Amino acid sequence: MEFLSNLALGFSVASSLENLTFCLIGVLLGTLIGVLPGIGATATIAMLLPITFQLEPVSSLIMLAGIYYGAQYGGSTTAILINMPGESSSAVTAIDGYQMARKGRAGIALAVAAIGSFFAGTVSTFLVALFAPLLTTVALKFGSAEYFSLMVLGLIMSVALAHGSVLKALAMVVLGLLLGMVGSDIYDGTPRFTMGITAYADGLNFVAVAVGVFGIAEILRNLEDEHDRQVLTSHVGRLWPTREDFRAIVGPVLRGTGLGSVLGILPGGGAILASFASYTVEKKLSKNPGEFGHGAIAGVAGPESANNAGAQTSFIPLLTLGIPANPVMALMIGAMIIQGIVPGPNVASEQPGLFWGIIASMWIGNLMLVVLNLPLIGLWVKLLKVPYFILFPIIMAMCSIGVYSVASNTWDLYAVAFFGLLGYVMGKLRFEPAPLLLGFVLGPLLEEHLRRALILSRGDAATFINRPISLTLLLLAVGVLVLVFLPAIRKSRDEVFTESEG
Amino acid sequence: MTADFTRRAMLATTAALTMTLALTHASPAQADFPDRSITLVIPFAAGGSTDLVGRVVAERMSQDLGQQVIVQNVGGAGGSLGATQVAEAEPDGYTILMGTVATHALNPLILKQKPYDPVADFAPVSLLVLVPNVLAVHPDVPADTVQELIDLAKAEPLAYASSGNGTPLHLSGELFKSMAGVDITHIPYKGSGPALTDVLGKQVPIIFDNLPSASGHVSSGKLKALGVTTAERSPAFPDVPAIGETLPGYETYSWNALFAPAGTPPEVVTRLADAAKAAMADPKVAEQMATFSATIVASDPAALAEHVAAEMAKWEPVVKGANVSMD
Amino acid sequence: MTSPTTDRSEAIAGALLMLAAGFFAWQTMDLRIGTALRMGPGYFPAILSGILFLLGLLVFLKAFRSTATSEAMGAIAWRGLLFILPAPVFFGLTVRGLGFVPALFLTALIAAMASMRMKLHWALLLAFLVTLFSTLVFSYALGLPFRRFGPWLPF
Repeated sequence: MEFLSNLALGFSVASSLENLTFCLIGVLLGTLIGVLPGIGATATIAMLLPITFQLEPVSSLIMLAGIYYGAQYGGSTTAILINMPGESSSAVTAIDGYQMARKGRAGIALAVAAIGSFFAGTVSTFLVALFAPLLTTVALKFGSAEYFSLMVLGLIMSVALAHGSVLKALAMVVLGLLLGMVGSDIYDGTPRFTMGITAYADGLNFVAVAVGVFGIAEILRNLEDEHDRQVLTSHVGRLWPTREDFRAIVGPVLRGTGLGSVLGILPGGGAILASFASYTVEKKLSKNPGEFGHGAIAGVAGPESANNAGAQTSFIPLLTLGIPANPVMALMIGAMIIQGIVPGPNVASEQPGLFWGIIASMWIGNLMLVVLNLPLIGLWVKLLKVPYFILFPIIMAMCSIGVYSVASNTWDLYAVAFFGLLGYVMGKLRFEPAPLLLGFVLGPLLEEHLRRALILSRGDAATFINRPISLTLLLLAVGVLVLVFLPAIRKSRDEVFTESEG
Repeated sequence: MTADFTRRAMLATTAALTMTLALTHASPAQADFPDRSITLVIPFAAGGSTDLVGRVVAERMSQDLGQQVIVQNVGGAGGSLGATQVAEAEPDGYTILMGTVATHALNPLILKQKPYDPVADFAPVSLLVLVPNVLAVHPDVPADTVQELIDLAKAEPLAYASSGNGTPLHLSGELFKSMAGVDITHIPYKGSGPALTDVLGKQVPIIFDNLPSASGHVSSGKLKALGVTTAERSPAFPDVPAIGETLPGYETYSWNALFAPAGTPPEVVTRLADAAKAAMADPKVAEQMATFSATIVASDPAALAEHVAAEMAKWEPVVKGANVSMD
Repeated sequence: MTSPTTDRSEAIAGALLMLAAGFFAWQTMDLRIGTALRMGPGYFPAILSGILFLLGLLVFLKAFRSTATSEAMGAIAWRGLLFILPAPVFFGLTVRGLGFVPALFLTALIAAMASMRMKLHWALLLAFLVTLFSTLVFSYALGLPFRRFGPWLPF
């Protein structure tokens, strides 16, 4: 079988002592930068790029890939422990993961995240190996009309992220969409909402917004009443999930893996949707949706699996087309070019050792991560015993460095302060940050694809219905809309009845 | 040399603070320039072609100068943010810019409010490389030559993808339209990658792209290259004609050049230019530049000054004609 | 059954949403709207500000017919606001001039003052350790391109 011989080739390349070492360095470094709040993989990989000039191409790419998924992994650790997501995907993990931590279940949340990620990583690595070329053709069928419909579906799903008022969640999505519009209009370069500040011409920095509305706002909340409130539970409970916990995560992990693998393939922001979509699905399928937002284990297991599966399958467009799905991948392409490898469809046939070696190393890296992180959980959880007044200045310092390291843009730091304040006020008024963040991420994509689809169809709005994939997605969106609002309508009718009775 | 660096790095880590103090205390006499690390500002995000050229050059220049040349990505506003930062930096040669056709020809013409003056605010150092662009179409497009594409564009409405509004690729397309006398709808993307994806997926038929990013797809047959934008054919693709062969006088390319802030002492500029020249003469660098399909120039400061003037003169009518402007 | 009451925080929430919508709408006025089929830069923001205003209005109106028991807003972290928010701003203002090391030290110090449990000498020690760690890790090991000591300093 060709597939098996390819995979064997890949493992023989990836399991050479040298490549194993670079894989380990990569995931270690990735985990390290991932757990430092605000420090992203992009800056680190950029710094390491010149070092990779001296390495074999396959070793350098294995190391860079290791940093990437190591950072994804570490990012969920900070999301769970201190409510500080560093990537759009771990924003979802923060919702229930941090609540679990506050209830003394941080260890379990971390373990569940690790196990879910590992399982998802394994499955999606095999998917990449088996179907990469086929999946690429599917991804290429996605034009702007399809992306627009996908984003609509994503936005409608986002309402389910809310555990409070649906109305206020919608308002947060819309506010997020508007904040996402900040920057130059891509079609004619007109600056929008930048207040004349050129530093915001490329939009607000995601890390700055996320760190502000989640992390800084949480620090402020914890400082509210230092006298009579124990900020974080120093009792950390058990570290390892119980049998019941395991039973509760099987479904979410499987579904998350599926969703993440499928959405990760789309280079135009599909991976972003994966964890949000998984959260929505789990909440809808759950027997007690009321648990979500208050430490539901499925709310960690599903999105974490989806996020890791998406991270793996987002390598597909990179490997088969040479097209980067995110800034980290762009850097990996750069590393390939510097090594004299022209990224593109020919890499798989011209450099089979490199192509399959990277795929095999993805699985090895995931194995390393789980082996590395499970024992570390005990250590991370101990971190919660550090008195808060010592912890938060450290967090503030790391955030400042991290946000500044993204683009050396001081205005990003001012944005952190602004969004910290906004997040704090939002919390006071019982608005939730997750829908805002989703809107912020999807807003620019939604508009970009809507406008491009209309330009390409020469102004014919029927393009969204005439294209079968787009139509399917829109129908799905309508379906979700009905599912989300039907209970709400029924509930409000019940309320009306009870009121009139009372 | 590499061994030396590792040792220095270890030394630095062990004696971190003393070391830094010692370094910053050293006298700023120009004779021993450079006596501390130099920051090379790349005005784009990491991973793009300018970034790669910059990192390769910085790495090699560090060896020649005996001090680290540290790359700092200051992306944003089409390169204007990074360029402004260098324009406003101390003119001591310790902060330099990897300028491009965007920062030193197009942006100053396009932007309504000009954050910097590409001539008055900078001391040119060296024009490093020229990078060709390419006009390519999806293989199903019924045109095999530039002329056939022009005829096709006259017969039916077409669209072309570019890496963004106001980028060199967009303006290469606009120049093509005006010289060929055709109207093709411009579809801007956020960068080359997504534009390429849509052309490969046949969502958009035509693309103007940097040759390095498109070359893999051209050689694999997923894209049909109709012409390169340079005056002569590219050695990497001798079968692909220059667009100028069909439209005489058509010539565009991207370029990368080093600039220091205006007022930098001439000896410092010369020292930097020599280091750049030495870097570009390195066979390994030459090999890496060849993978980018980049032509090495490694000019002296005066030649770069002339080059900037010529580029601004060339692009001004195109920018005006295409009616591209930004605030 | 509780009878409808006025939920003050909901009313404020709705009002703030309308205010935000107003701000965005005002900023959109200078932008070209275009048509539905050939949208200008202002089209999408204009629609969104409209929706946001409506949502804000709904939240505002519902506040007066609230059936939920109004939750108290709780204490406000004035001290936190006063020290936490300026910390990243201070870092941004000084990282180029003072350089990475002093800017980070002072940033950590400012942030540390946000807790009333923090004593000055502990804050100094903490800031020192954070700075030492970050300088070693980020500046030396990872090689982030920041000047350690900037031009504002005399040496």
